[in-house]
Amino acid sequence: MPLIAIETLSVAYGTPPRPVLSHIDLSIEEGEFVCLLGQTGCGKSTLLKLVLGAEMPARGRILIDGTEHNRPDRTRGYVPQKYSLFPDKTVLDNITFGPEVAEFNLLTRFTPRYLRRRRQLRQEALRYLHRIALCDADAPKYPHQLSGGMQQRVAIAQALVTNPRILLMDEAFSALDPGTRKDMQDLIRQLWRDTGITVLFVTHNTREALYLGSRIIVLAKETADDGARIAMDLPVPEPCHQDQIPRLVHRLELASGCVRESEEAVMATAIA
Amino acid sequence: MSFGFQLVHARPSRTWTLLLSWLLFSLGLTLYFYASQKRHHENPEDRVMPTVSQMFHGMSDATLKPAEDDDTALADNASLRQRFFASMLWTDTVATSRRFLYSILLLIPAVVLGLHMGLFPYVGVFFLRFVLFFDKIIALSLLPILFIAFGIDELSKIMLIVIGVTPTIILDSFNLTRGVPNEQVVKAFTLGASDFDVAYRVVLRQIAPRVLNSIRLNLKAVMLFLFAGEMIASTNGLAYRIALLRRHMGMDVIIPYVLWVALLLFLVDLTMRLVNRTLHPWFQEA
Repeated sequence: MPLIAIETLSVAYGTPPRPVLSHIDLSIEEGEFVCLLGQTGCGKSTLLKLVLGAEMPARGRILIDGTEHNRPDRTRGYVPQKYSLFPDKTVLDNITFGPEVAEFNLLTRFTPRYLRRRRQLRQEALRYLHRIALCDADAPKYPHQLSGGMQQRVAIAQALVTNPRILLMDEAFSALDPGTRKDMQDLIRQLWRDTGITVLFVTHNTREALYLGSRIIVLAKETADDGARIAMDLPVPEPCHQDQIPRLVHRLELASGCVRESEEAVMATAIA
Repeated sequence: MSFGFQLVHARPSRTWTLLLSWLLFSLGLTLYFYASQKRHHENPEDRVMPTVSQMFHGMSDATLKPAEDDDTALADNASLRQRFFASMLWTDTVATSRRFLYSILLLIPAVVLGLHMGLFPYVGVFFLRFVLFFDKIIALSLLPILFIAFGIDELSKIMLIVIGVTPTIILDSFNLTRGVPNEQVVKAFTLGASDFDVAYRVVLRQIAPRVLNSIRLNLKAVMLFLFAGEMIASTNGLAYRIALLRRHMGMDVIIPYVLWVALLLFLVDLTMRLVNRTLHPWFQEA
């Protein structure tokens, strides 16, 4: 049984309904690193939010490990592009938030057991902090005191500390400068290999998708009025040779409609 | 056209800043005392613009003697401390502060309601239209109804403040709650938070500094309604005293009272600002 099964999914917004996604069928196995690729406005973020449970499909359904989930919960971790950390909590409190709310509700937080347990959780969080290459001095800082890259590192740690089976990342590295972005890509790749977690990663950057994913799904609209469909489902060969990359980039961009007909001919001759 | 000096790009020096920022104060004081002097020259009994010594006498009476309508009898050998705590100024201040404190405490449920309205759609649809309607009612126009319904004692005055200020606070907390990025709420749920964890540990904590600022902005409205209530139906309180002294043209006490109220309000605002900054060190004033 696939970990995520998307069955004839359709979504439309507004009145009159404007289709965003139509007839998406997709199954994702445990341990895959799936990159959702597509142009701005093609509905890739919407698909991610549907898997997350933050939005509801008009038709079709999404099964996570065989069951439908109609709201976000602990099975799926989430790292958005912005607002990924709680601004009112320190780095350490951000990381311990998940385990804390899992074990204590609003009232049991006022028991001595909570204080003891919190000390343990903080030790654990510090270990996580080292894993994402932050130091002890960063623990008491507030998110606004960190750089964008550091914030996303903490956000990943915060999502992973509760051991979700699926990690959903929405343009998580798109706001970062190229150097930081490369580091973050290496980090998430490493964490994926270490934990065997299933990742669904939304990006509009073809090279990022090729570098990260074990499989790339391209979403594209055939005409402007249609909802987006799966235009290409590409398993990324592993290891991916450097000389293959331009050809793959071209194929993917062709599928997502980045390259127009005229450019296509030029590109084709260039590659040949 | 150039005037030879900068407008937008001007950078006043410290001396100029100090000088200019206090200029209007000194100008006002000078004008007042000049006019007061002139009036007293013509009529030594003038009560409209009391001199400093008149105000000093008025206030020393106010801070050391019980009010005329106060039956508290003080022993002749009462200490300065005892005299002060039985004085008109002190009893008035205590009475007004108590009402003020109750009103502020009653704003807490308003914040909680606004939070729930913003976060839980059913609570939102249940209350929103009614609160919007209530917000448009001029609270002072309800005053006669309140006096009839709740009598002229404390309850009606506090109800006046509640009706006047709570809708604003409810709507403000509601809007602030809606302004919290959806990512934050979704993230909290993916970390295993319950609905109430999200409400109180994520959203409320994030809007708290802005809510406190909004309450600070509404302090004047609270005081306005409180003073209206006290002036119309009360037997003590700062505004009651000001209204009462108006009948005797007691400007020697009214003016210091007005300044005293301004000072108190300034101190409350300052305290709230400091508390806000200490409690929420992460808050970036946008």
